[in-house]
Amino acid sequence: MKTTRRRFVQGGVAAATLISAPSIARAQSAPTAARTLKCVMQGDLRSFDPIWTTANITAYHGAMIYDMLFGVDADNKPQPQMVESFAPSDDRLSWTFKLRDGLKFSDGSPVTSADCIASMRRWAVRDSAGQHMFERVKDTSAKDDRTFVISLKERYPLILDAMAKPGTPDLFIMRKKDAETDPMQQIKEFVGSGPFIFNQDATKMGASYVYDRNPNYVPRKEAPSGLSGGKVVKLDRVIWDNIADEQTAMAALQAGEIDFMELPPLDLIDQLESDANITVEVLNPTGNVGFMRLNFLYPPFDNKKARQAMLYLVNQSDVMKSTFGSGKYWKKCDSLFGIGTSMENHENTEWFKEAPNIPKAQALFKEAGYDGRPVILLQASNFAFMNNAPQLVAQWLQQAGVNAQLATSDWGGVVTRRANREPPDKGGWNTFTTFSSTSNIASPINFIGHVANGDKSWFGWPKDETNEMLRDKWAKAEPDDRLAVAKEMQRNAWDFVPTVYMGQWTSPAAWRKNVKGFVKVPEIIPFWNVEKT
Amino acid sequence: MIAYALRRLASLVVVMALVGICVFMLLHLAPGDPAAIIAGDNASPAQIAAIRKNLGLDDTIFVQFWRWATAVLSGDFGVSIFSNAPVGMLIMQRLEPTVSLTLATLLFAVPSALLLGVLSAWMVGTTIDRMAMAVSVLGFAAPTFVVGYVMIYVFAITLKWLPVQGYAPFANGIGDWARHLVLPALTLGLAYVALIARITRATMLDVLSEDYIRTAKAKGVETRSVLMKHALRNAGVPVVTVIGIGIALLIGGVVVTETVFNIPGIGRLVVDAISKRDYPIIQGVILVFSAVYVIINLLVDLSYTLIDPRIRY
Repeated sequence: MKTTRRRFVQGGVAAATLISAPSIARAQSAPTAARTLKCVMQGDLRSFDPIWTTANITAYHGAMIYDMLFGVDADNKPQPQMVESFAPSDDRLSWTFKLRDGLKFSDGSPVTSADCIASMRRWAVRDSAGQHMFERVKDTSAKDDRTFVISLKERYPLILDAMAKPGTPDLFIMRKKDAETDPMQQIKEFVGSGPFIFNQDATKMGASYVYDRNPNYVPRKEAPSGLSGGKVVKLDRVIWDNIADEQTAMAALQAGEIDFMELPPLDLIDQLESDANITVEVLNPTGNVGFMRLNFLYPPFDNKKARQAMLYLVNQSDVMKSTFGSGKYWKKCDSLFGIGTSMENHENTEWFKEAPNIPKAQALFKEAGYDGRPVILLQASNFAFMNNAPQLVAQWLQQAGVNAQLATSDWGGVVTRRANREPPDKGGWNTFTTFSSTSNIASPINFIGHVANGDKSWFGWPKDETNEMLRDKWAKAEPDDRLAVAKEMQRNAWDFVPTVYMGQWTSPAAWRKNVKGFVKVPEIIPFWNVEKT
Repeated sequence: MIAYALRRLASLVVVMALVGICVFMLLHLAPGDPAAIIAGDNASPAQIAAIRKNLGLDDTIFVQFWRWATAVLSGDFGVSIFSNAPVGMLIMQRLEPTVSLTLATLLFAVPSALLLGVLSAWMVGTTIDRMAMAVSVLGFAAPTFVVGYVMIYVFAITLKWLPVQGYAPFANGIGDWARHLVLPALTLGLAYVALIARITRATMLDVLSEDYIRTAKAKGVETRSVLMKHALRNAGVPVVTVIGIGIALLIGGVVVTETVFNIPGIGRLVVDAISKRDYPIIQGVILVFSAVYVIINLLVDLSYTLIDPRIRY
């Protein structure tokens, strides 16, 4: 066949059409930029099952696509969400819950009692509050498609708090067939009844994750408040771009290439605050508490005096400044349950008024019979706080005459080594540093770090019978009585010292000025109610 | 030459086997437990142990290696521990951005470096030579991430000529694709330009002092022809060798450049996987990178015969 100029041009046009066809198709189906929010979240969303992993970013993903039976409001009080009505029996040993009418999963199937029961049972295997609750659950049964009953072995005033808690893993309601997956394995399909639908076709793993508005979602009528109230979606699409480099993400925000950045670098926050196009605001007002965990199995921290020495050793201001700069976004914390929470109190905090007092710490180490053996501090070099805090503590320990040695690795190395119960010189450890959300720490039941039952405790394996008795007393207390028990618990805790607090901080988020409507929720970034103007 | 190429390809199998064993053993002997990372900070030791069992990480290292090696031999790189996505699919998804960035870098860097090197050699001792070498030293000395941030600040934020970050697939249109690659390719290519320009200059200086160059000049051959036809071709073998070796430099640089410019390529994939101990992804990517590196070296060796007919295999 002879190639003419016309044929060549026709071929070129056809080829160009073929090459650009996918983008044309995408352009036709993609929402407009005005109805699309591009965000950079705290990290990459690697797993999509919010029960299987407790990564915060996966809990955010869960809140996008799943709904909850209850959600906490702005005052951290549980409020019905998927539930229309609920009632305890007179003896409060049986609770009946009725679902709202018209709840549907994004595949069109109705949300039923069976879905809720299966979801609760899977969640309860992985969540400490869920475990605590289900130790007291006798039975769960479906009365009809929209009504289910939880029968208890004993009265359990925390039942609604547990179901509403915002800390990962949250009680997200999945389809029964998904919720019946082994809790130690990932679910394979991600279909929820939440305000957004996970668009897996448009998602590019490791690069961008796409959520589209769920047209079948029926929001509650109330105004949004925390994780409760009307989750009204005012955007067609939300995209989470995975920009690993925070400087690049910040530049992209300033250039208008993205609309929202969850964790802008604190050392450059002034730059964003002075940008007329950017809003900088804290969305999680109680933030996080940083702490150092002590290993109760080996000297010197098998001795109470040595653990008390640590309270006098730490200068929280220095630790906070080393990572979070000026005092705008951090504060010192003496409350076992965090500052700004309903359980905040200041019982038994003489150490806090005195610290740092290195001579006193030195005297306490001597009383503990410290014999000069190396004290191993695990240090995670890839997280600023977990890198800086152990360095400072090591320096103060050395000033107090303790042979402190840093064991540096990335966070992956720390989480492996902290599970090692061997002696510190055989691969074990004496301290590791981490943090938890303040809303989680505020509950003696939700935060695993408050447990002190030896082998079954969290890493460090503290054992204190009084602590366990008080946790149980707190769980059985009515809401108005809880603070008094929390004070007792704190009085005891700052005596046996399971953990040494390093301070409390908040992390401001930044977004373009034309984005409005973020609801403040601890531990979740919600995208309902958000709009672009 | 065909026999030589086949022999080299056969040796590829041995190299890949050794790489596979080393990578697997190093990864599994290094500290880090994906089960602990998955379970999260609040997980109990019992929960971590249960996840580890489900992932098969509590089997002996030899059992795990056998499972992985037999799967790889049948073309299956396994699935990501975290996302359950097949590693082969993840690598394929990330291939286009990395190949695009590498090609764009080569297209910019190799001609620029050759021009700079030839010009310096030809005008040795002049201001142009000194300036070219200054650029070359700068290219070596400046870390990729610093160059990247400066480029972003100048061309994306201040001048607003180019996007700060991201990658536009080729299928979305060549213009957008190219716009997103300009800054990363310049950033990544700078060190490569420096490397090739310096070796080109040094080799050209040697060749330009040869008798046959003087003869060519005496015969009145044009300067351009002397430089490009007589000198550069004879200086070609070491230059091509350096270009080949430089691919390793490029692969290392891709990791940083992809992070700075948020390009969802293979470099980012492997860095993310390392931080989470996603063993199947790390193993798969290193195997692919190793194969690419070995094949590029083979192609470089074969190209010698085209540059210098005296070389025979």
